[in-house]
Parts: sequence; C-alpha cells; structure tokens
Amino acid sequence: MATVQNTDAERRELTEVAFDPITRIIGNLGIYTKIDFAAREVVECRSTSSLFRGYSVFMKGKDPRDAHFITSRICGICGDNHATCSLYAQQMAYGVKPPPLADWIINLGEAAEFMFDHTIFQDNMVFVDFCERMVKETNPGVLERAERTPAPHADVHGHKTIADIMRAFNPFEGQTYKEALQMSRLTREMCCLMEGRHVHPSTLYPGGVGTVATPQVFTDYLVRLTRCLDFVKRAVAMNDDVFDFWYEALPGYEEVGRRRTLLACWGCFQDPEVVDYDYRTMNTWGNAMFVTPGIIVDNELVTTDLVDINLGMRILLGSSYYQDWTGEETYVDRDPLGNPVDQRHPWNQTTVPKPQKRDLDGGNYSWVMSPRWFDKRTGDHLALDTGGGPIARLWATALAGKVRTPYVRSTGHSVEIDLPQTPNSPEVRLEWTPPPFPNTIERDRARMYFVAYAAGMALYFVERALDEVRAGRTKVFEDFKVPKEAIGVGFHEAVRGVLSHHLVIRDRKIANYHPYPPTPWNASPRDSYGTPGPYEDAVQGLQIFEENGREDFKGIDIMRTVRSFDPCLPCGVHMYLGDGRTLTQSHSPTFGHRA
Amino acid sequence: MADITVGKRQVRPDFTAHVPGVRRGNHEGHYKRQPGHLPYGRSTSRRSTGVHPKTKNPILPGMPNLSPA
Repeated sequence: MATVQNTDAERRELTEVAFDPITRIIGNLGIYTKIDFAAREVVECRSTSSLFRGYSVFMKGKDPRDAHFITSRICGICGDNHATCSLYAQQMAYGVKPPPLADWIINLGEAAEFMFDHTIFQDNMVFVDFCERMVKETNPGVLERAERTPAPHADVHGHKTIADIMRAFNPFEGQTYKEALQMSRLTREMCCLMEGRHVHPSTLYPGGVGTVATPQVFTDYLVRLTRCLDFVKRAVAMNDDVFDFWYEALPGYEEVGRRRTLLACWGCFQDPEVVDYDYRTMNTWGNAMFVTPGIIVDNELVTTDLVDINLGMRILLGSSYYQDWTGEETYVDRDPLGNPVDQRHPWNQTTVPKPQKRDLDGGNYSWVMSPRWFDKRTGDHLALDTGGGPIARLWATALAGKVRTPYVRSTGHSVEIDLPQTPNSPEVRLEWTPPPFPNTIERDRARMYFVAYAAGMALYFVERALDEVRAGRTKVFEDFKVPKEAIGVGFHEAVRGVLSHHLVIRDRKIANYHPYPPTPWNASPRDSYGTPGPYEDAVQGLQIFEENGREDFKGIDIMRTVRSFDPCLPCGVHMYLGDGRTLTQSHSPTFGHRA
Repeated sequence: MADITVGKRQVRPDFTAHVPGVRRGNHEGHYKRQPGHLPYGRSTSRRSTGVHPKTKNPILPGMPNLSPA
C-alpha cells in the first residue's frame, strides 16, 4: 500500500512495507517499515511482537527451587541458558556455592550450547540471506562478480570462488548447510553429556549438578569437540571471505544496519576459584568470568562492574501493552550493598498486561517492553543492544583485557584464539578486533569467531574439570536451605546476548521473578522518552542495495539487518486466550499427590 | 492487577513444589547420607555401584579413585 506524506524538508513518496512474521526466527516478530524507493532508503521502522507469555506473572507463589526448570521453557533453543541464569540467581538467594567441578560442568555445557546455537543460526538461517539462490534473486550483479572472485582462504575451506562458498550456503543442498546440521548434532550431544538434556537440562540444580563426573564423560565431550574444531576453522575462513567480498562488491554496505555503539554483555563462564555467588562481591567474581561483562558506549568500555550494570537497569514502557507499575509494591528498595534500587528496576517490576489494538502511529504496538540502561554520567536511558550476542561479548572481553587462558586471551584491544591441530587441519591463531562501528556484517562476522572462542574455552574447561576428577575431587553438589526471605540476581549470556534473572523470595516462595533475556533489549519499541529500540534504530535510515524495484522487492537488506541481531521472540515478552476459552489442566505427581 | 478476565485457578501456584513424603534433595546434611560420597568432596566406587563396589576401588591407596559412571 502506498501512501504519500510530508517530511520536514521535502515531499517524499513512502511505501509501507510490512514483514510480519519474520521467518527463520522463533516467535512473532513483525517489522513495519516505510520505504522511499526513489531515494532507496528505509525512512521509518517499527518493531512489534504479538506474543505475550507471562512468566513474570505465573512464577509468583511458586517454589523458588522450581524456577530453573520452569524458566528453561521460555525458549526452545537457549533454554539451558535460562536454567543456568536461574541457578545463579537462586544460588545467590540461598547463599550456596557449588563445588568447583559443578561450575566447570556448567561452563562446558554452556560452551557447547554457544557452539550449537551460533552454528545452526549462522549457517542454516543467516546464510540463507547470503546464499547463491537468494543473491541471484536480489543482487544478480553481485553473484556475477562472485563467480569471478577467487576466495582468499580457498586453501583452508576448499572453495575456489566466492560464488562456490555461496553455493555451499544454499539451503537443504549446500555442503556447509548440511555440515552445519551434523555439527549441531555433535554439539548438542556435548551439551547433553554435561547437562543431561538439551535444551531443557535435567541435571542442573541450585547448589550443583547431577552429572556423574567420570573421566569418560569428559573424554566423550573432548572427542566431539575435536571433531567440531575442523569445521570451526573452515567456517571462520569462509565467513571472512564472504563478508570481505560483500564490502568490496557493494561499496557503502558497511552503513547497512549501522548503529551507534551501544553494546551490552552480562558475562558468562564463571571461574569457580573466584565466584561465591554473593551479591556483595559480585564485581570481583564478575570480572573473573571467562567472558567479561561490560557496557560499551561509543567504542569505550564504560563499566565491567555487575553491580553498576544491575543498578542501571530500567524497564520503561512507552509503546507496550502494559499498565505502569510505579504505584505497585516495592520489593527491594536497597540492594545488599545499601544502594537504592529504582522502582523501574526488574526487582520492583510488576507486570500488568493490558491487551489492546495495535497502533503504529504514535500509540502502543508491542508486547515487548523497553529495557534501558541508565547512564549516570549523562543521565541518559541508553537503548543498549547485544548485536546478536557475539559482537558485544567479544568487544567487552577485548577491551577489558582480563581473560587469560591457554587458548583464549584478551589483549586489551583484541581477542586471540588459538585452536590446536585437529585431524584435518593444522593449528590456527584467530584474532578478532573490534570494527570501527557495529553493523549488519560485523554482527554476523563476530558470530563465527565466538564459536571459535567457545571452542577454545571448552578445551580449557575440559582440562580443568579433568584436573579435578584426577585429584579425586568428584563432589558436584552442595546442600542448602531455602531462606524465608532473600533476593538474588543471575547474570549470564543467552546465546543471542545479555540474560538476567531477578528473584525475590518471601515466605520461601517466589514473590517476584523477572527474566530479562536479550530480545527485549533488541526488539524493544519506542520508550517513554521516544527513543527507538535497536532493531528500529538500525533499520531506520538504511540504504537499500537490493537490485529489485518496488514491484518485486524482497527487503533482503532489512532482513539481513534484523537477522544479524539473532531475533528470538519467545523470550522477548513475558497466554492470553481472549474471551471464553478454557484450558484443561491435569497434574500427575510421580509419587502420587499426598503420598 | 490488569483488568483482564481470567478463569478461576484449579491448582495452587506452588502445587508442583513439594509432595509430602518425598525427601528434599537439597536438605542440609543430605550429602553425608549419599553412598560412596566421602567428606571433603571425594568419592569411592560405591558412588557408582552397589555390586561388589570394593573390588572396583584402586588397588593402591595413593591412586585416584576414578569410579565408573
């Protein structure tokens, strides 16, 4: 539908183009744009979600020890990240520290999850946008050039030209597409060895794990990891070749999806020698994590202190289908260090859903809220994004200069990853350096580097875990009591970015529980200050490079940009069935009710 | 709470939490009752099996006790 409207300086013909739902992602994401085809520019963008889940509503009153099993179901792909994050929050609330081997086991499971999820998303979903068939339809000129361009790393991955790589990305038939599926099987097996099941772990509990730590379980993991390394080395080289070619073939493509550097990483992979899950020492153990937490504003690392990060969180409304909760109960007015906690902080949030009609012209249009981070230096509420996860993790780790392991090191300006020799490939050293600014291509490029990062860390974790087992320290769980009243927070990284769970316990039950996964940060709508969310911000002003005109427009540049954030909406919103529908509910306790 | 019409709940929110008669795994002091798990975080093959576990222990006391799964 075409509409004509005025802008400030000129009269432009804007065409409304809606992508709803966005495919190849999980959940209900709609991107509503207004495009000026004459100027080949996206003028306006709104990101909406039509899905309400209500975890923060129905968690109330439940036993806190169930939290990780329930919140794991938030997502069908990164559920173990939620389980892990919930464990961290519970352990803080119960005051229990698991034995070191349990933390190594969780780290190993999570490293496998990162490898699994990034590989399947990159090679089976993102690269469909860069495959030969797609590019033939959207940019035939680019494909023609790709046929003539030799691949610089052909000796590593075996594809002679860039077009050959693009053919390997073709869905269902391309070599890389099929190989990535095999890899995802291997990496899921790795996760299952450590966490019992993927993606809803069965052997993770607060206070430890139920995994029986034997040399066998770790060597089974290591065998699979070694097989994956060959693929990872090839994949990084292919990624670099394709993305470098894209810049070369389409000058100006670096502006696609460009956004001010506002990146957030909450850190992951705890160091068992430092972590005690106590809020008062959170800065110390947060900085010892093997992915450093951090907030990067305009290419500078603002903080790596998880207490600062926690206290700066604000959940704003503005374009979301909720009532404000400022008049509702305050659960936590001061944190355990005595710092005041804002009413808009997740610890004090009360979710009050208010279903209504979607209004894209100045009204409410999404079930996603608008999480922001309050920058006390400037007083701004920053719309941080995760860049799909890897770019923020690598950037924060690179600048912080705190990670030092045999396989992965932070240099203060880059991240070095050493991968050993494996059956089909020699040892390699990879180095990721932060780009001048985040954009679509760099978000995608960072993803495969982070797979290499997770693989390198997994090698280290296996060694440390085996050290524990060989020394006879096989204890993997610790007893604890559920306190009558407590608060806790877990900071972790879901695969696609920051993840926090905020927990308040009263009378040994959950009084308040708020999971904040990455997609509410990325897919947030305009907040009460009028600041657009990261998807909206990245797509607005986007230059269109697609060769198709208005009639057969595919919106490939917009799709690449949105997918570069690794959108995943089930976690984005916290069931509404309308009038008159009733769900039948049944319950069969294993041991019989009141047995 | 929001002005949404919702049905009457059929179970208590904490229904899943605890079935009377079932031991809570997290109980303090539970660890020492776990067979094969020794104080100071070590374990013996009794952790893995109840069938002749002693024959699965290392033959010398200085050797690590790597019990089967």
